[in-house]
Formats: sequence, C-alpha cells, structure tokens
Amino acid sequence: MQSNNKAIKATGAKFAPSFSSKLEKRRKLQWNWSLFFFILPGFLIYSIFFAGPTISALYLSLTDWNGVANAYNFVGLANYKEMLTDSPTFIQSLGNNLKFTLTVLICQTILSLFFAMLLVKNTKVNVFYRALYFFPTIVASVSIAFVWTFMYDPNIGVINNLLSQLGLENIAKSWLGDRNIAIYSLAFVQFWAHTGQMLIIFIAGLHAIPKELYEAVSIEGASKWQTFRYITWPLLAPSATIVIAYTTIQSFKAFDLVIAMTGGGPSHSTEILSTFLYHEAFINFRFGYASAAAVIFMLIIAIVTIIQFKMLKSNEVNY
Amino acid sequence: MKRISILSLSFVLFLSMALVGCASKDSASNSEEGATTINFLHWRGEDTEVFNGLIEKFEQENPSINVEMNVLPSDSYIANASATLLSGEGADVFASFPGSQFEALQESGAYVDLSNEAFIDRFSESLLGAGVKDGKQLAVPYQLVYNIPVYNKGIFEKLGLEPPTDWEGFLKVSEVLKENGYDPILFAGDISPGQFINPMVMNNQPSDDTFAKLEKGEEKLTNEWFVKTLSQIQELNDKGYFQKDPLGTKKEGAAALFAQEKGAILALGSYMMSTVKQQNPEIEQGLISPITVPEGEMKYEGIHTSTFMLGVNAKSEHQEEALKFIEFLTQPDIAAEYANGTGQMLTLNDIQYDSPELTETAKWLEKKTLFQPRYTISKEQVSKAIEIAVQDVLSGVEPKEAAKKAQEEVSRAIK
Repeated sequence: MQSNNKAIKATGAKFAPSFSSKLEKRRKLQWNWSLFFFILPGFLIYSIFFAGPTISALYLSLTDWNGVANAYNFVGLANYKEMLTDSPTFIQSLGNNLKFTLTVLICQTILSLFFAMLLVKNTKVNVFYRALYFFPTIVASVSIAFVWTFMYDPNIGVINNLLSQLGLENIAKSWLGDRNIAIYSLAFVQFWAHTGQMLIIFIAGLHAIPKELYEAVSIEGASKWQTFRYITWPLLAPSATIVIAYTTIQSFKAFDLVIAMTGGGPSHSTEILSTFLYHEAFINFRFGYASAAAVIFMLIIAIVTIIQFKMLKSNEVNY
Repeated sequence: MKRISILSLSFVLFLSMALVGCASKDSASNSEEGATTINFLHWRGEDTEVFNGLIEKFEQENPSINVEMNVLPSDSYIANASATLLSGEGADVFASFPGSQFEALQESGAYVDLSNEAFIDRFSESLLGAGVKDGKQLAVPYQLVYNIPVYNKGIFEKLGLEPPTDWEGFLKVSEVLKENGYDPILFAGDISPGQFINPMVMNNQPSDDTFAKLEKGEEKLTNEWFVKTLSQIQELNDKGYFQKDPLGTKKEGAAALFAQEKGAILALGSYMMSTVKQQNPEIEQGLISPITVPEGEMKYEGIHTSTFMLGVNAKSEHQEEALKFIEFLTQPDIAAEYANGTGQMLTLNDIQYDSPELTETAKWLEKKTLFQPRYTISKEQVSKAIEIAVQDVLSGVEPKEAAKKAQEEVSRAIK
C-alpha cells in the first residue's frame, strides 16, 4: 500500500480515495486558496473600476438621475426608447461615428501597411523613419488637437496659407467650420496620430513571415503583386486582425481629440457617440440618459469587434 | 497554514494602511497647531497667483484658518466638483456657473443660504440675481462680465467712426470697416454663437423673460423675434462683415486677429480684454453692442453676466470659516486687489479699478444692461439649440428653417 501511494504521488495519476490522498487533496486546496491572494489585487481593481461601473451604468440607464441629485426615479426603458426614436442628435452621432471610424480604419490600415512594407528592412534610415512615424503616438492627444486646430485655422492656419502660396486657394477650406468636411478633418488627425503605432504591428508581422516562402515563390517566378496577394497578406492576417480591431475600437472611442478640436460642432456635425454621452451626462445633466447611450455604445463596439474578429480569423492562414 | 496566516495578516495590514491613507486628510484638516483647513474650489487657473496672495493675507488675519485651494478645468468643473460637494468631502467654499449648473446644484441642496450675511450689502443689488433661488441668496456672483463685443478704439478713431446706436448705424459702421480693409467683426466659431446671440436678441425679444417662457412652452423660437435675430446674423454674414470662415475660427484665432488689429470688433466679451492687451499692449479697447432696432426702440445697451459665483457647501463641517473667507474676499480693498490683479470686473460696489481696460469697462456699470439671456435658461439642451441655430445660419441654412429645427429640439427638451 505504501509503495502504491508512492507510485501514485510520483506519477500524479488518478487514484482511489484513501486517507493519504485526502490529505494530499486538502494540501492542494490549501495551496489554491493561498493563490487567491495573489489574484486579489487584480480582481479588486477589475471589480471596482470595470465590473462595478458597468453594472452601475446598466442600472442608471433605467433611471432619470441627473448626475448630481441624491434622488432619482426608475423609468424603465424610457431612456432607450427616447434615444432610438426621438433623438436626432444620437442618430447623427452614430452616423458621424461610422464616417469617422470607416475613414480612419481604411486610411490607417492601408497607410500603415504601405509604410510597413517600405520600412520593413532594419536599416538605420528605416529605423529613423519608424521612430518619426511613431512619434505622434506618444504625444498627448490634447497637444495634437491644439496644434492641428491652429494648423486648420482658415485665417492664420499653416494649411490654407500653404495652399494659397502654391496657388491652390480653391482647395483651401474651413476645415473645422464646414459641417460637410469637419468630421473628415478630424479623422485625418486621428489616423495621422496613430498610423505609426499600427506600422510597428505590421512590421512585427512582416518579420515573422519565413524568408524561405519568398525564396520559393521567387523561384516559381511570382510577380510582386502575386507575392503580396498569396504570401504576405494571408500570413500577415493575424497582424491585420489586431490592427483592424484595435483601430476600430480606438476610433469608436475617440474623444479627447474631438472635444478639444470642435467640441462636437458646428451644428453637431462632429458629434460622435463618446462626445454625445459626455454632453448628455456632464453638460445636460442627464446621467441616466447618458448611461443608456453608454450601454448602446458598448454593445455596438462589442458587436462590431466580434464580427471583425470572426471575419478576419476565417481569413487567417497558418503554415 | 502558516502561509495563509502570513498572507491574511499582510492583507489586513494592506487594508489598514489604505484606510489610514484615506483618513489622513480629515485628520490633517484639523492639524497644524489646531488650525482648521477649509478647501476652496474654483476653475480659474489664471487667478491662482492672485488668490495665493489673498489667501496668505487671509491666513495672517485669521491664524486659526488655513485655506487650501484647488483648481479644476472649467469644461469639466461641475462634473468633477459635484461628486465631492455632495459627498460632504472636498470643497467648503466653491465657485459655480449661473444657469443650468447653478440649478442642478441648488436642486441637490449644495448651497448654504447666504441671504442674512452682512457681506451681501457690499454687492450691487442688481447684479446678485443669478445666485438667487426662491428668494434665497444661495451664491454670490463675484465676477462681472459684459458679454458684448470688444472693439478697437484706435481703428474707430482713425476712420472717424462712433459706436452705432441702431441697426442701420451698425451696418454702416461695418461697411466702412470692410471698405478700409478690416474684418468688421471677428467671430469665434466655438464661443461666439453662444455669446453674440445675447446682445443680438436683447432688444428683439418681446420681454426680459422670453427665454424663461421658452422653457415653459409659452414662447417659441419660430416666432418673429428669434427669426428676425437670425436674419440679422445672416445679413452680417452675407454682407461679408464676419471674417472668412467664421465657424472654422477658434477663440484663440479670432483673438489673435483682433490683437494684430486685422479686425475691428471681437464678438466675444469683456473677459477677453486682458488677454488681448497681453498680446498687443498698444491696443485701445472698448465695448460695443449691436443695437438691432431703431434707436427709439432700444431697451438695453448691453449684456452683463457673472460666471464666477461663490457659495458655501451645505455639507461642509467648517461653514463658519468658509463664510469668513467669502466675507474677506468681498472686502473692497481685497476685491480691488483681485480685480486689478486678474483684469476682471467685480459685482461689488466701491471697487477702485486701475487698468485702462477695467476703467473703460467700469463705464458700463452706469449703462442699462440686461443679465445674459442664455443664463436664464435652466436646461442646457435649450441653450445649445439656440447656439446651433446660429451655427446653422452661418452654414447657409435659412433663418426660418434653423429656427424651426431649434424649436423642435426645445420641444423635445421641455416635454
């Protein structure tokens, strides 16, 4: 029996219940229990700063709380109903958010991939350019917003002045004042600021592709386009999944740039979901209503991200 | 078992330290040789240096009271301030905006009633209304602002122009300015829609409480007075009296053009005068109102407001000390020090102003001015609808259509 137990201990195999195995189980349980203390800080932080506020937002979205008063009423789904049926600003914000996200997504993905292909070799010049393109990512969004606001100024801004000096006055615009183009002006700044970040992800992905594959298709006489189409792009799909998903979430959540540059104006033309819920909560004092917007906002991001992951994952190729 | 005990002990120790850390603020507030510390919360970061000097004086006069000042950015001020105010922690003396923010805070019972305080008599009675609710003086408007455009007196003198007294005169002055190569009115797309509408509407609206009636559903933006106001803004825009792309120009850009003397009228308010003066010390500034009616029909010459109202937190444990601090700030010599140090006018009587801008602005104390109409609106959505109507008109929307859209938003907000 003793030798049998020794064997069980040594192999870790399943064994019949016995006194010593019960002791062993208890010892393991005690060890697991002590492990709990290691995850406790993370668990507490997650509960306090994420799970708690999320549940709280869900509850508040069913009330008419103004964000300040102690008292409020339970209004059921009234906030959701109002938002979806009687709020042109919410619908406009959603539309603006889609325009903004799509513009950033397309431009940022294409540009970062293009620059990644150009800068993939580890030469000194390429490393310098990578650092240069990455630089805006480490600058605070508000600083970027102030600089670009001045650059966009129709009267004293450098962009229109430059266009005038080049004889292109007809292209000069009221970049942030024209409600037809203001959202695209903001999207430009967003992808200018974050392209470098995505560039690094693509470069890492490109470096992970085995050189032998390129050598093989080169021997087969594949053109550059065919090499990209059948080797680079499919094997870069995991990086593209990260870039596309991250860009989408980042663009949907863009807030500081929009608030600092246009505040959502003129005439709500740059209002996006995050600024909409900020205005409702902290300017209009409709915290319950804003919480409902936040819940819808969270659902939209979740749905879009899941769809993207599923679509992109299905295109991924493993070797 | 031993390991569990050690971990449990560590956890308890960690919690104890956290609790001690949380508690340290309270114990500190009554430390320092038995002195009481009160917290003063406001949003004007540019006043910090002046307030530091005043607080030092106050602490010398009141050795048993220390003042700890905290400044939050104005755009997120109320969002950040309200939580601490209502929890009973944080500010003892705090600043607040009139209008919707004051309404929200007073509804929550954030203010101590100041009606019976002796320092109330130091204020100009006509300027105290913004802090009154149900007959109680809950906050004292401290800073006086004229929300009417600033103009370049030098340019006007050079061209032989006088501030106009009617709408025809305003258009004529604008035309002369334009003909002489100046942008007649510099409009800041982010701020001016909400500012310029006040003097534009002051003589057009049927009564002083028109905006209050609007919130009760007794008045409409589709009525003649508002459509007329929007039409006049459209007229200024169509005649090219605003600079190029007014909605794309930010406050800083408009102020820079004004300081560079490329434009003659800055559609902001008196609060910009000290900023402009810093950029161009040679500039001579005054205040000018667009009078939108014939001279005989003019009711008001300008708009005044107060954006800096002082109140005492109803949940403060140090209300007596907080009241002493407000009493100190309202003493004429102290208030004058604040005014001259910050370049801001005050709602208090008997203040000696020493800069040319403040002396110029002080002349408006004698004029017939109206409290800023937009601050009589308690719902921000209504205020925003009016602002967006102005933006719409400047974007090319017809005044009637812009007014209709704004009224629909108002109806949604007040239902």
